[in-house]
Amino acid sequence: MKFLRTLALGAALAASAAFGQAKAETVRFWYHFDNPANPMSDLVKKFEAANPGIKVEAENVPWNSYYDNLYTALVGGNAPDAAMVKLFAQPRLAEMGALEPIGKQIDSWKGKADLLDNLLELNKGPDGKQYYLPIQYVVLYLYYRTDLLQAAGLQPPKTCEEFRNAAIKLTNAPQTYGFGLRGGKGGWDQWGVFVLSQGAELKQGGLTKPEAIAANQWMIDLFQKDKVIPPSAPNDGFQEIVAAFKSGKTAMTIHHIGSSKDLVAALGDKVSAVPVPKCGNGQWTSYGDESLAIFSSSSVKEAAWKWISFLAEGQNNVAFNSATGQLTVTKSGSADWKLHERRFVEATVQSLPFARVLPQTSAVSEFVNTAWQTNMQQALTGQITPKKMMEQLQTLFAE
Amino acid sequence: MSLSISSPVQRRATSIWRSERLLPYLLLTPAVVVTVVIVFMPMLQAVYTSFYDLILFRPSASRFVGFGNYVKLFNDPVFWTALWNTIIWIGLTVPLQMGLGLVAALFLNREFPWRGLARALIIIPWALPSVVIALMWRWIYDPNTGVLNDILIYLSIVQSAVPWLADPNVAIYAIIATLTWQGFPFFAVMILAGLQGIPRSQYEAASIDGASTWRQFVHITLPGIAPVLATAGLLRVIWVANSMDVIFVMTGGGPGYATHTLPLYAFVKARQNLDFGYGTSIAVTFTIFLGAFVALYIARTMREVER
Repeated sequence: MKFLRTLALGAALAASAAFGQAKAETVRFWYHFDNPANPMSDLVKKFEAANPGIKVEAENVPWNSYYDNLYTALVGGNAPDAAMVKLFAQPRLAEMGALEPIGKQIDSWKGKADLLDNLLELNKGPDGKQYYLPIQYVVLYLYYRTDLLQAAGLQPPKTCEEFRNAAIKLTNAPQTYGFGLRGGKGGWDQWGVFVLSQGAELKQGGLTKPEAIAANQWMIDLFQKDKVIPPSAPNDGFQEIVAAFKSGKTAMTIHHIGSSKDLVAALGDKVSAVPVPKCGNGQWTSYGDESLAIFSSSSVKEAAWKWISFLAEGQNNVAFNSATGQLTVTKSGSADWKLHERRFVEATVQSLPFARVLPQTSAVSEFVNTAWQTNMQQALTGQITPKKMMEQLQTLFAE
Repeated sequence: MSLSISSPVQRRATSIWRSERLLPYLLLTPAVVVTVVIVFMPMLQAVYTSFYDLILFRPSASRFVGFGNYVKLFNDPVFWTALWNTIIWIGLTVPLQMGLGLVAALFLNREFPWRGLARALIIIPWALPSVVIALMWRWIYDPNTGVLNDILIYLSIVQSAVPWLADPNVAIYAIIATLTWQGFPFFAVMILAGLQGIPRSQYEAASIDGASTWRQFVHITLPGIAPVLATAGLLRVIWVANSMDVIFVMTGGGPGYATHTLPLYAFVKARQNLDFGYGTSIAVTFTIFLGAFVALYIARTMREVER
């Protein structure tokens, strides 16, 4: 009895403590930064000073399991109030009913006019509503070693044929290879440069078209027949391709401006970038987006909006991007952009006309998360044919 | 305050405890309650979930499918690949860890200078978090910048770098080597404790009788540490079977399905594809297999040990 009374007292105390805290609204926010220099706490401090009633708990969630954690938290009822999100996740989140429409807030927000053109249009939800507020962007382009290409008497490749020829010339296995391919998790956008450019589409019948199968065969042949890609490729992720490129093991690779600082620190003037090659009649590169969203389960939506719109405004957005190494979404921030070397910004801007996002369907999430990787690895290692790979991936999009 | 009231309570409790039938139940209750709440209830929930077609981001489309997930499972080639990988995974890792642990323990049981330091250092792989180990070995194995290939090429054992984790025929053995390295200290420490419990007089008697070192090992050392080996082996089988963190970090189950084990497959299905119905049916099936194996193991090994 006495124990029960103590317990009740304790519970009451805890409740009152929780209630006391609830007066200051707390916004729980998830993000992912790879960069060890993290300005988030400075941004939080600046925000809290300007908004005394609001506390921000910003949590850096590791990228590799970011979406696993996010989906599980949403279903488990323990979701953050707002988070960094990518476009490929939007259909799933919308299907879960997890997203809060923020179109009205954006319309009455003073920062709207400062956003780069077309970004809100790109970010629209599958039902035409606005759920995402853009926060940064990148475009994939081709990194190359200026010194190695020069020594081989080569110009940066403009077409797939030139790319293949250059890669063959630059390869001197096992010391050096022409191209560093990301065959492991997250490599679908490199693959897209060579396959989605040549008519393959992530929809019913879109991957088993003859031209799509031929393009995929060409891509796999680079690894199996031409041997211009290191044998480690099937398990290589971002860290591995960057390490191999820095060490001179590979002469070209595909990534975005986010890695340029790191590469320049290691290679100086020996690294430059151009838009990805044109393959067949098409040119495709991945528009890498990152946005902020508020979840419908949040009880502090107004405070959450204040926080995410704060991050998308002028100088705050520049500070945010100085950590991620990506590009600001604001016009005022772009005007005097000093975070990257000019040549990488130019390669990005030149790539914008043919930069695309993947279609927003639920199957695309599975394609990006697991299916592409498993099938690509099987094809690269000869467990299945490139044609079979496309057929298996096609089953995802059979509706 | 607790002191002042403890004596009457204690006396009454003692009278209950005297009726010795209740005592074991009383002592077991806290453990049983905890186990029921945090192990058995989720397990039952998992069995229940496995009868449903439940995809997490489509909660409204969830429906009862009976054994549908299990039928799908037994027709799924990836399931059979993963099952075979799981058998290789357990069947190689545990004996290798045990063998290496035994050798290490025998060595550490001898007198030599700095023995205390050696005993402390050997525990390091076991004390490191799995994710750290996985990342460490991922870089050691890296064909472009990793140290292992460098050494092998320098010693002219291989001509060009071996893509340890990118070759589907090699990847699982590379990870098994990593896990063997991580897990052998556990066996070494357990076996060392067992070795120290063997009376020296037995060895003295044996050597007076003219028994060789090998015969002493077979007839004194091995029987002396048999109970330790049996128990530690059982624990490791369960742990190794369920551990997927090292595989997940090193290859994510790839290339293709080459390093998928059943727990990893269940994890990928449930947590990455959010297909909880199918994912739990994999987990439940694996639990039944593992449970059957453990029951068999206990029945056989423990009988041997008790003999």
